[in-house]
This record gives sequence, structure tokens and C-alpha cells, in this order.
Amino acid sequence: MNLRTFLLLGVLAAGAVGLQAVHELNGGMPASTTANLLYVRSPDAMKRLALSYDSLLADVYWVRAIQHYGTTRLSIDPTTQFDLLYPLLDLTTSLDPHFTVAYYFGSLFLAEPPPGGPGRPDHAIALLEKGLEALPDRWELAQSIGFVHYWWLQDYDEAAAWFTRASEFPNAPIWMAPLAAVTLAEGGSRESSRLLWREIAQGVDDEWFRNEAARRLRQLDAMDHLDGLTGAVAAFEQQTGRTPSDWEELWRAGYLPGVPVDPTGIPYRLESGVVGLGDGSPLSPLPTGPAQIR
Amino acid sequence: MRLIGQIAVNVFKESVRDKVLYNLVAFAVLLIAVSYLLGQLTAGQDMKIIKDLGLAAIASFGRLIAVFIGIGLVWKEVERRSIYSLLSKPIRRHEFVLGKYAGLALTLLVNVLVMTVAFYAILAYLNTLYPESIQVTWPAPATDPGMLRAILLIFVELLLITAVALFFSTFSSPFLSAALTLGLWVIGHFNDDLRSFEAVVESPVAAYFARGLYYVLPNFGAFDIKTQVVYALPVPWLYVVTTMAYGCVYIAMLLTGAVAIFSRRDFK
Amino acid sequence: MDAIRTEALTKHYPVGFWRPRAYVALDGLTLDVGQGEVFGFLGPNGAGKTTTLKLLMQLTFPTSGRAEILGRPVGDVSVKRRTGYLPENPYFYDYLSAEELLHYFASLFGYGAADRRRRVSDLLDEVGIGAERRLQLRKFSKGMLQRVGIAQAIINDPEVVFFDEPMSGLDPMGRREIRELILRLRDRGCTVFFSSHVLSDAEALCSRVAIVASGRLAATGELSEILAFKALGWEVVMGGLDDAVLESATASGHIDRATALGGRRYALHVPLSVAPDRLVAEFVSQGAELVSVNPVRETLEEFYMRKIGAVSRDRGLADVGKAPASSE
Repeated sequence: MNLRTFLLLGVLAAGAVGLQAVHELNGGMPASTTANLLYVRSPDAMKRLALSYDSLLADVYWVRAIQHYGTTRLSIDPTTQFDLLYPLLDLTTSLDPHFTVAYYFGSLFLAEPPPGGPGRPDHAIALLEKGLEALPDRWELAQSIGFVHYWWLQDYDEAAAWFTRASEFPNAPIWMAPLAAVTLAEGGSRESSRLLWREIAQGVDDEWFRNEAARRLRQLDAMDHLDGLTGAVAAFEQQTGRTPSDWEELWRAGYLPGVPVDPTGIPYRLESGVVGLGDGSPLSPLPTGPAQIR
Repeated sequence: MRLIGQIAVNVFKESVRDKVLYNLVAFAVLLIAVSYLLGQLTAGQDMKIIKDLGLAAIASFGRLIAVFIGIGLVWKEVERRSIYSLLSKPIRRHEFVLGKYAGLALTLLVNVLVMTVAFYAILAYLNTLYPESIQVTWPAPATDPGMLRAILLIFVELLLITAVALFFSTFSSPFLSAALTLGLWVIGHFNDDLRSFEAVVESPVAAYFARGLYYVLPNFGAFDIKTQVVYALPVPWLYVVTTMAYGCVYIAMLLTGAVAIFSRRDFK
Repeated sequence: MDAIRTEALTKHYPVGFWRPRAYVALDGLTLDVGQGEVFGFLGPNGAGKTTTLKLLMQLTFPTSGRAEILGRPVGDVSVKRRTGYLPENPYFYDYLSAEELLHYFASLFGYGAADRRRRVSDLLDEVGIGAERRLQLRKFSKGMLQRVGIAQAIINDPEVVFFDEPMSGLDPMGRREIRELILRLRDRGCTVFFSSHVLSDAEALCSRVAIVASGRLAATGELSEILAFKALGWEVVMGGLDDAVLESATASGHIDRATALGGRRYALHVPLSVAPDRLVAEFVSQGAELVSVNPVRETLEEFYMRKIGAVSRDRGLADVGKAPASSE
């Protein structure tokens, strides 16, 4: 290669880099409305198109589902929605019916109402039922259906029926039958909720699940705390006849050992006698689900 | 037999010199890069995805080699007329065809073996990165030897693809041979749909025709048990053995056809 | 037993896709080549030489007729063991060296490793390939490939070799080497059947020739039979010749014509009736010196043109009468 060719190549390369920089300075690609596009929505068609690469394509759709969920959840744009979460998980599990994590992921996150999720418990149940059809020996899937009924739909009869069904699987754990009984007798109780979330935290190798379950367990703890604090406020009011203005008053009066903090270390809020989570607590909002019942 | 072996060794030597085995480097780079990237994505399921990818890559690289070298095996010798001096040696035409086939089979065998070793090495390394508490949640250990069954069937599939490519290339141009081979491979994956065709068509003739195709066309889908081994689902040895037998019979049929056509061919 | 024998060997190729017609590449070739002969198979490009060789190698199959080599039908593996073949413009494998290629071919004959090594090294010496033998063949020139092709054709000490245009792609030096090699093969008792469109090759080598044109045999026989060998007279070249001596010789009818070559040197055309030795002695006694004496005969070229013309007229074809390609 002679010098002239070399120089020409150098100039061209510099030009390409420069133009790319200009492109970047101007803000890159114009914003596109097609970012959230799924080209093939039919799982049947995709399964045929996949030829022998269905497992690998399932992995690709799984990664897309996780990314879609993660970026939407972190997004500050209020108009973004989780509208692709169900189709992506549906494609993943159609391409690879053994992809159990995808079913569980759907059971946890599809039912959650906005802004935390798309708020579609029906989709969560549809996905899990599809899973149960493909993997009829997985008691966890039946339990998860019961869980959606329990936690999100607060339909305790239906939940108990599913827990009972799960308990009838040959490899089901022994606590499944009592859970069904308790659910039927008491509806949603904090204790059975704890049991369910603890089970979820241990059941699957996945950070998403463990983080979510840990958060839920802390919420349940926080709700216990709040019950206690509400009791302390009520006792103070009864004794002094007035509403405490802050925690210090309660502390001086000997109702509390100090300023109470939630399980993430954020102080609880006390405003005109009503206790709640402090501003910016990662635990808020507290579930409106069954855990509030008792 | 000795002559077939010598022709085969020559094919192997040429394909090695032709840098065919460079795909092994691509394979290793791909697996390492993806396992690194997966760590960044926090999607979970890393071990499953690596296994899926590794098995798919072993199959894909093999398929590329089988098709693109397979169609050139005979065609190149005829096109460049190197076959003239070769066939003037004391070999028969069927020995030529079978030797060429055996040579590519040998190349593929080495290729698949090296990729398998690299694949298990990467899995063994990744295995050390996960605590035991996570390992127990996996459906199968990282270096599950059960995956060898899938690799075995992948290898038989590659031999079948090579036989298809060789068959077509004894009478058609490389472009057409590649198209026909790929087409047959794709159709071979729809084989199960052909069997159940009568459920969707009215005409019994079309249904019989589809059913006939189901039996005649190579059932490539049968060789794909990647998903099953990744989840350590039961794959009976009987299935593996009958599928291998099916592949071997089909290969024998294609090679017989290739020899029959090639033995009558005029070289202009 | 003849080394090579064909009987009414005929090859038609279909041409045209929709309505195939037969193109007659070879039409009823009958030929015998005895053992130990160097046989020239001559004709212009497209005459059917390569087709004949491919039929003899069973690279194509005859439409009709038969061919035998060493008394056995062509294509027989036992025949292939005892023959060698150099294709026209040979080409081998890009990624093998000359040495590896010959080892490969030698192994097809079943030679052991030591035997192979010796044979390959001797052969490469014989065809004049030195240090390049370790180079991959894709880096070889046409002439080098031709030499490799010749080496592979004789790797099994064949009893009969077939060379298709053996001189093509070679420089004059190379042509001479190959000529010498063919003569060495003949001396070993090997039958050499070679095709060429270059006549001087045949003149220098052949005991017998066959001439084909348009797929048909135009003539066959000894060179001397075909060429009216004794015919036309002599060409004598003398130096230091006096003009006066020349004039008197011309006047007495001893010289048909004289061509001045410059520097008092002349090419003299002497008729057949005059004994050239006496004439030369006379000139020498008058102070001239002899440069060369050559017989003048009809050249193969002229014969060739005459024959091809006749065949072409027979068949009413215009295009085959064209002059053969000039020698390379």
C-alpha cells in the first residue's frame, strides 16, 4: 500500500468518524414510535419460523421481556406502558414451553397495577395455565395461579381451590394443604402472605424474584410496624387527649424507644395523628392487597 | 476402502488449509463474548442461555460447513478439471464420491469434537462463578454429559445435510445445490406439519400427497433434541439410536443416488 | 496386442436446451497404436482430439464404438494402473504443494511411503521443478502446472501415457525438455500417445501420426508415408560464394534459385536430380564454405492444410478449413 492510498484511507476514516460525531451531536436517530414493536406476535408462526433455533429464540425473547419490563419500570415518562410484556412472555414460553421462569415472572409482574406493571391478572393466569398445560407436574404453577387470585384479585375461594389443587401434586410441599385451609378460613392474612413470598424468594434462581419477594416481605414487616405505631398513637391520644405532632412527643412520653424507621431505614411519617411510610421509601406504595386485612 | 480413505484425507487436508477450521475461533469468541454479556444483562437463566447458544452454534457452524463445502466437493473438482487427472488413477467413480463424502465427514467430526470440548470447558469455567445455592436450582448441572446425546444427533444431522448437498451437486450448479439443500432442510423441519396436513385441507388427495411427502422427505426436525437435553428431560437411548439409524439409512440412500448419477456423468 | 485400439468410436453431445440436437464431436474413429510407439494425434482445435482422449480415459462415454487399451476395455482399473494421463491445461488442488499432490496420487497406486518419497523426488527432478515443489499449487504458473501434470501422468511408470497438448504453456526451453522426456519414455518401452496442434512437436518425435479434423480421421500412418518424404530437393547454404561461380551453376541448371542471405552467404535450392555432395565439393574447391544441407519436403503443415481442406470439402463444412492456430 503506497502513501497516497494510505492517506486516502485515513481521510475517509476520519470523515466517517466525524460524520458519526455530527450525527451524535444532533441527537442521533429521530425518536421513533416503533421502538416498542413486536414484529411477529403469533407464537405459532414464530415457532415455525424458528426452525431448529426455538430455544435460542426463546432466550432472545426472554431477554427482551426482561429489558422491556426493566426499562419501562425505570422510565420517568408517564405514558410508557408494559404493553409488550405479555406478548413477549407468551412468545418465550411458546418457543420453549419448559421456560418455567417466564411463567413465574408473568405471575409476579403482569398482575401488578400501573405504574409498577400492566395490571393484567387475567394475562398472568392465562400464561400460568398455558404453563400448567405444558408442564402438568409442576405444583408451583398451580400455586402461582392461586397466588394471583389471592394477592391481586383477593378471590380467596378461588385461591384456596388452586392451593388445594397444588397440594394434590405428588411432589407438593407439606405446607400447601394448611395454606389452602387457612386461606379458605381467614382470607388473606399477613402470615400466609409471608409464607407465599418466602417461598417465592427461595424457589427460583433469579434476582428479579428475590428482590421482589424481599421487598414484599419488608412491606409486610412495615405493615406490622405501622399497626403497632397506630396503636401507640391511639394510646397517646387516649391518655393526653390530643394528637401528637411528631415522634419526639411519643418518645418523650415513653411510648417509643426512639424515632421509628422502616425496614429500609427511612423514618416513618406522622402527620395529624396518621402514620405512614416516609417520603421516598422504596417500600411505597404499600399493597392494597390482602395484607391490609389484618 | 484404502482409496476412499486417501481421498478423504486429501479433502480434510484441503479444508484445513482452506481455513475452514477458523470457525472454531469464531465459536469460542462467540460463546465467551455472550457469557460475558449475559452477566451484564441480569436476565437470569445464564446457564440455560449459554447451553442453548452453544448447542445452536455447534449445529449452525456445522450446517454452514456441510452445505457450503458439501456442494463444492464434487463440483469444484469437475469445474477446475482436477478430476480428470484424479479419475485417470486406478480409482472407480463411486470411490471418488464416497471418499469426498468421508473427507467432509471427517472435517465435520473434528470440528464438532473441538467445539464440544470448548463448549464444556466454558461451561466448567462458568460453573465456578455460581454459588452452590444457585446451582441446585438448575434443572441440570453445568457440564451435564447428557448434552452429548444432542451433539451426537447434531453430528448425524450434519452428515445428512452433507449427503443432501453432495447428492444435488452431482448434477446441478453450486448455487442451485445450496438452494435445494437449504430448502430441503427447511421443509424437513415442517415435517410434523405435513403429517397432520389432513386436518387443515379438505381434499383427501392433498392430504395423501402431504402424508407421502412426510415419509419421503428427510425429517430434519427429529434430530433436534437441544431443548430436551438443556432441561435434562428424559431422552430415551432408543430414540437416539432409531434416529441415528434413520439418518444413516437416509444418507446411504442419498449416497447411492449420488454415485448412480455420478458414474454415468460425462465431463465435457 | 496393440497398446491402444479404437473401433468406430463416436461421440455425440446434445446441444440446445429445448430442442436438443446432436453435435458430432467424434465420428467413427478407428485407430491402432502399437506398443512402444510415439504416436502423434494431430488436428486443429475443436477437431475431436480432447474428446478422443476423454473417451480413452472414460471421462466421457461413447455414443457408439469401442476402445481398448492394452487389450482391455477402457475404464478398467487394471488398465488405469498401467497408464498415465495428462489432461489439457491441467489444474489441481489450490492448497496442496506439488510434492503433496504427487504423494497423494502415488498413494492412490498403493506405493509405500519410502517408495513414494523416492518416486516423487525423482519425478520432480525429471520435469525440472526444484525448490518450488514445496509451494502451494495455486501459486504455480501455467507452465509449472504443465510440468506437474506431466509428472503425475508418469508417476506409476506407465506402459502407455496419454498427453493432451503436452507442450502447451511451455517456453522453448521447456518444450525441448519435454521432448527429451518423451524420448526417454520411449526408450524405456513406454507407448506415448500425444495430441497436439503444433506440427513441429510431431515432426521431432513421432514414429506414426493420425490427423483428425472435424471429428473424423483424415490420415494415419508413418510420417514418411504421409509426407512424400523424398520429394522436393535440397536446400544448401554456402558462405564465401563468388557471384561468378553462382551464375555459372545457375546457368548449368544445378541450382533452381538462390536467395542472398547477406555477407556473400546464399541459400541455394538444388533440384532432386543433382547430387548435393558433388555440388558442395565443387563450391568448396572454389573457396566457398558449407553452412548447412537440408532436404526440402512437404511440411506437415502443408500436408495438414491439404488434408483438412479435403475433409472439410467432403463434409461441406466451411469453418474447419481455417488455418490451425499458430504454434505457441
